[in-house]
Amino acid sequence: MSTAAGTQGGPPDTRGPTAPLPLGILAAGIAALVVLLAGSVVVQVAQANSGNVVTQECEAEGVRAETSGGSPVKGAVGVCNIVEAIRSRAQTLIWGFGVAVGAAASVAGWTFYRRMPSKRQREQAIAGAVLGIQAVGLGLAAFWFRSGNVGTFARNFLNAEILEGSMDGFMRGIVNTLKLAFVGEFGGIVIGIVLAVLAISARRTVRAPARVYINFFRGTPLIWQLSFFYFLFLFGFDIQVETFTAAMIVFSLNTGAYAAEVFRAGIQSIERGQVEAARSLGMTYLQAMRYAVIPQAVRRVIPPLMNEFVILIKDTALVIVLGLTAENFELYNYAREIYSDTLNASAFVATAFGYLAITLPLIRIVNAVESRLRSGLTGAIGAH
Amino acid sequence: MPNEDGSLVRLENIHKWFGNVHVLKGISASIQQGNVVTIIGPSGSGKSTLLRTINCLEEPTEGQVHFDGREITDIRTDLNQVRTEIGIVFQAFNLFPHKSAKENIKLALEKVLKKNSGEAEEIAMKELQHVGLDHKADSYPSQLSGGQQQRIAIARALAMKPKLMLFDEVTSALDPELVKEVLDTMQRLAEEGMTMVIVTHEMGFAREVGTRLIFMDDGKVVEDGDPQQLMRDPKDERFRAFLSHVL
Repeated sequence: MSTAAGTQGGPPDTRGPTAPLPLGILAAGIAALVVLLAGSVVVQVAQANSGNVVTQECEAEGVRAETSGGSPVKGAVGVCNIVEAIRSRAQTLIWGFGVAVGAAASVAGWTFYRRMPSKRQREQAIAGAVLGIQAVGLGLAAFWFRSGNVGTFARNFLNAEILEGSMDGFMRGIVNTLKLAFVGEFGGIVIGIVLAVLAISARRTVRAPARVYINFFRGTPLIWQLSFFYFLFLFGFDIQVETFTAAMIVFSLNTGAYAAEVFRAGIQSIERGQVEAARSLGMTYLQAMRYAVIPQAVRRVIPPLMNEFVILIKDTALVIVLGLTAENFELYNYAREIYSDTLNASAFVATAFGYLAITLPLIRIVNAVESRLRSGLTGAIGAH
Repeated sequence: MPNEDGSLVRLENIHKWFGNVHVLKGISASIQQGNVVTIIGPSGSGKSTLLRTINCLEEPTEGQVHFDGREITDIRTDLNQVRTEIGIVFQAFNLFPHKSAKENIKLALEKVLKKNSGEAEEIAMKELQHVGLDHKADSYPSQLSGGQQQRIAIARALAMKPKLMLFDEVTSALDPELVKEVLDTMQRLAEEGMTMVIVTHEMGFAREVGTRLIFMDDGKVVEDGDPQQLMRDPKDERFRAFLSHVL
């Protein structure tokens, strides 16, 4: 062999130069994002502590200290502080820093990641680049927001003082939301199991009504079902039903249709051999369902059912079309009540946090259950 | 009460169609009390389908199945009751995964035979002992080896005190080193006088333990007789070809 590399032994080095500073790229990405987020909070807090008047700039943006009648506007100073902080020079610097450093990190990361000497360092470079892009995106969105009518927005949506004294109401709202959702889900599961067993029947006459029910409730809007069935109970059947109770029933009926499909899929996912084993021991079809199939199916459908539950929690807001008495206000209804009292939408923002307080823990549980089922511990949940 | 001809099982001209596929093509056979019948044959020959018609897990498209004096293909026969007298063990075990070994056995005793919990418990423990797994009574199927699961499945079927046991390729899903423990259990059962019908690929077992061999091909019974004799001197061409492949 008389190639150039032959005298050296081994193939030529095609790896190229090793890139510098993987940790630097990662650090830049993190710094861009952290400064952007934490910096904005710091600016807000500082302004909230120092500012105590409604400035002229705020007035110019529509944040009035007094009404035209001369009475003070509740929360005007707080809103002005938010606006002033967003418009401040410090905020410009922080967002500018986030965008610039984030852009630098992502450019460096994408340019150099292939030349990192180890897998670990390559991942660091990529992580830095991705965080950088996120910082750039957030920063640009922030600048865009600031170019709009910040005063109008903050006045209508971010007036915390409007919410003073409404904690009890929100708590009651959470309780009522949970009541509607829990009763709806429980009723829905009961209806769903029955419908699922009917829907998998070999007999068309048994299947048909279940299919009609399921398709009807899945095929029409929940908001329509709420008002239609409420008035059907009230006038059609002449039952003096309260709106809150009617809502619970309709949520059950509606959830039943979705749960039926979930259970049907769960039952059909159980191996044929399970039914054969049960039947060959002399069990009837219903016994085989009850003792062999459904206990296994229930375990498999826990994650999709909990997803349905999370959806139902949010859908309880639709009960607003029926109108509730004050002690039955759920979260959304309560927020609208505050809105109609104050003509200020800040309560709706607060409501979102109320829903998240309920749904986030649930979503975590669903994920935990799912990963546990996936890891093969199929018998593990409620095995005893 | 045996059938009029004295047999425990009598199949009369059984046909089975799956859609357009003719799987069983007119099979007639009788099985006497105490027979250990092994059914062998190439895959797709209809062995398992035939076995499963005996307890009507597969309903014959045509023909009659008589068991213990009753025509069980008659729609008026209480099949659930008949099935309590016919045990079946499957290739895939089909244990209930959400129940422990003991609960697997107790379930049908309580829900079908209506025994109280104490009685069922006693029977379950006795049957577990019978298959040598009483120390695994509280284990779940997922915690047991394939061989152990299959022995539990055998115990579950035996607990019903069946007059007939059906085995559908029960060792085919097992690792080679686990096959023996299941075959040993079945051999002991045969020695105790249980009437058994066994679909298998274990030729040694068919020859040594079986009292009768049925060779099926293409939905028909081709050979039926004493296993040792048949294997020593295979007459039918297809049977000879099959033996030369598997032995």
